[in-house]
Amino acid sequence: MNTSPGPNGWKTIFLLEELSLNYEFKSFHFDDIKKPPFIDINPNGRIPAIEDPRTGLTLWESGAIIVEQYDTDNRLKFDDMIHRNLCNQLLHFHMSGQGPYFGQCGWFQHLHAKKIQSAIDIYANEIKRVLGVLEIVLSKKGDDEQWLVGNKMTYADMAFVPWNFRLSEVLMQSWDEVFEGTPRVREWHEKLVELPSWKRALEHRVRLMDEQRLQWNGVPKGIETFADYEEKIEKGEMKYD
Amino acid sequence: MTDPSPSMQRISQLASHLTRPPHPKTFLRNFTSKMASNNNSNIHLYTVGTPNGIKVSILLEELGLPYKVTPISFSKNEQKEPWFLEINPNGRIPALTDTLPDGTPINLFESGSIMQYLVDRYDTEHKVSYPRGSKEAYEVNNWLHWQMGGLGPMQGQANHFFRYAPEKIQYGIDRYQNETRRLYSVMEKQLSREGGEYLVGDRPTIADFACWGWVAAHHWAGVSLDEFPKLEAWLHRLLERPGVEKGRHVPSRHTAFDMKNKSEEELEKEAEKSKAWVQAGMKADAKR
Repeated sequence: MNTSPGPNGWKTIFLLEELSLNYEFKSFHFDDIKKPPFIDINPNGRIPAIEDPRTGLTLWESGAIIVEQYDTDNRLKFDDMIHRNLCNQLLHFHMSGQGPYFGQCGWFQHLHAKKIQSAIDIYANEIKRVLGVLEIVLSKKGDDEQWLVGNKMTYADMAFVPWNFRLSEVLMQSWDEVFEGTPRVREWHEKLVELPSWKRALEHRVRLMDEQRLQWNGVPKGIETFADYEEKIEKGEMKYD
Repeated sequence: MTDPSPSMQRISQLASHLTRPPHPKTFLRNFTSKMASNNNSNIHLYTVGTPNGIKVSILLEELGLPYKVTPISFSKNEQKEPWFLEINPNGRIPALTDTLPDGTPINLFESGSIMQYLVDRYDTEHKVSYPRGSKEAYEVNNWLHWQMGGLGPMQGQANHFFRYAPEKIQYGIDRYQNETRRLYSVMEKQLSREGGEYLVGDRPTIADFACWGWVAAHHWAGVSLDEFPKLEAWLHRLLERPGVEKGRHVPSRHTAFDMKNKSEEELEKEAEKSKAWVQAGMKADAKR
């Protein structure tokens, strides 16, 4: 399991924890993921990626990695065609609809040196819209089945957590403001972040970020902005022990 | 007022489906008098001729499946009408409905998920897929998600800042055009491997079809293929396939390649046509 501080790696760790699988971390500095050995694992130079020495299989793209091959008891997925496809489409909705736009919002809100309000607004509005879509999905379901698909938690629910739990920072709003108008999404999210597996994933995160001497946003301690960070990487000034 | 029970909701949904008059623009593809209904198959595609829409029509043509098509009108905001939101609560194209072998209706949205459903159910001979559980099938999944989470959204943002944004923000244009170029270079590298005619293994798959419409539309995003010879060859290799050729023109003529021959002024006019509804749609979404 190869990862770094951004939200996407934690989807996979959350699942590995929930399924109680044995795994080993290889954590990468941001400036090391575009070169070997990591780029030999993922040609896209992005985290996460996993290698399974048992099967020889290497996978990247957090959405692809998941349960298909390890969840043999269907704990976090379904086997029938309808529910299998419903889970899959919500995973795709997360991958194409949530992740990229939440990511761009975070960039323009926090990491970009100059404040461009219209760019922040585009992505902040999109985040609200995505939460609204999830509210519709949950509101069509009974009170005792408040999961995205069927009557149990699946990987589709879990995929949304690592981004949603950053929303207060990304939008720079209180949680009440974040979830205004989407009470079912709030309840669903709060249920998910209470899971022991998620809490364990977060403990790993805190430990690894501290080891790498990173701030919460992935920028090393002592560096102000992402632009400064990139400049230092460019100049070859980032050296690690 | 109390919410109706889930089963009542389902019944009323089904009933509204049955009583809904057929959309006036719906047309049939690949239906022949000989073609008996294939184990309850009843594919109905709701689409627009965009890079995401043509992924699905290309795959349907590649698989030679009969299907109904309803073109959706963005300028009329049809994708936000209640009957469409019943199929896709996200209000985006493409969406597809079908009937499972046991008669249950299923609604599908997200182009990547629709494509996986179609090959899973209908490509039993693995013409454009690999058997479930094989190494290649997982690798197809890598690239499909890479397209869904990377190439599509990022090139889409390049379009937004380069063509549709109400104010010109050079940083936004550069950021997303550079990211699109980086993503093209990842494909270029993958296609440069020994025998690398397609993204995975020895045959075209949904990973290729998913990327094709986006790469074909590179000029609209303001990105050139000059630095990516393998990618350009791949684009034309796929274009030679009858399924890709037919599918790219559903529901209307595919115009991505015409863009190269237009002047910047004509392209600006093209963008103006869409600007109004793109921005109106964004405002409406912001109010929700």
